[in-house]
Amino acid sequence: MFSPHHWFEALAQSPIGHFTQTSQWAFAVIEMVHLVALAALGGSVLLLDLRLLGITLKGESAAVLSRDLGRILLVSLSLMIVSGIGLLSGEALKCYYSPAFRWKMALLAAAVVFYFTVHRRTALRASAEAGPTQRVVAIVSLLLWLGVGIAGRAIGLI
Amino acid sequence: MTQPLLLHLCQTLYDSHIGTMIRESDYAFSVIESVHVLFITLLVGTISILDLRMLGLILREIPVTRIARAVLPLTWAGFVVMLASGLLLFWAEAAKNYFNPAFRVKLVLLVLVGLNPLIFHTTVYHRVAEWELEHRSPWRARVAACSSLLLWGGIIVAGRAIAYF
Repeated sequence: MFSPHHWFEALAQSPIGHFTQTSQWAFAVIEMVHLVALAALGGSVLLLDLRLLGITLKGESAAVLSRDLGRILLVSLSLMIVSGIGLLSGEALKCYYSPAFRWKMALLAAAVVFYFTVHRRTALRASAEAGPTQRVVAIVSLLLWLGVGIAGRAIGLI
Repeated sequence: MTQPLLLHLCQTLYDSHIGTMIRESDYAFSVIESVHVLFITLLVGTISILDLRMLGLILREIPVTRIARAVLPLTWAGFVVMLASGLLLFWAEAAKNYFNPAFRVKLVLLVLVGLNPLIFHTTVYHRVAEWELEHRSPWRARVAACSSLLLWGGIIVAGRAIAYF
């Protein structure tokens, strides 16, 4: 009853699932929204982490960048999650058994937790000259988000 | 023989050794396509930060030129790889793309998105020193920013749609 498989099946059989599976264009349109939001998310993560690495916008406060770019990140992340659930409803059971999908969810959970805990706090205290901790945080963040993207792309390929 | 010249060119590319190789390889097309998507993310993700700054939505305290200097090298890097990978994808599918409505729309949008910075840089950006500190850029810069956001969004949408026709 409470197994993940049950929930995936329930999603596939929900009205949303029915819509995405039968409509000719729904899946494609939701996928486009997912991709546009991806661009916004990617840009904000990259610029923030390059700042933490001391590569770009060194003279600007990392806290201000984190606040404003964090807004883009949150809006695009929400859009990606909502559209992602739509996409999932279109092929829920395929995703349930897909190793790429499982990797993507694990990496996504890690990336989001890392962002709300370590990343935000590091940005608030960041200095212009990036110290080793700051660099490690930026690199971990970049790798986690890149991993989410690569695993996500892989869902359609394997 | 009565084929339009462009179609003939597309067919020649399609039939060429490299085009066939990319199309028939097990991985080449998917790998190039993934790179294409990753770098369009870089391109659009970075330029949209500059656009949102000019609209006065984010980073208002930071001068426009500072943001431009930080993001434009990344945007250009994204553009170069996106263009190169896009040409390879086209090479493999040229004869099919020729008839694809989404591909045609994408090309038109690409031309428009190229004209946009051309107009922007030769007009209002010339006097950027006068307005770079303003929280909200002059209306002509804001029009350019909106056009950029809409056109690039449209390019992603049209690009994805190519696979559905």
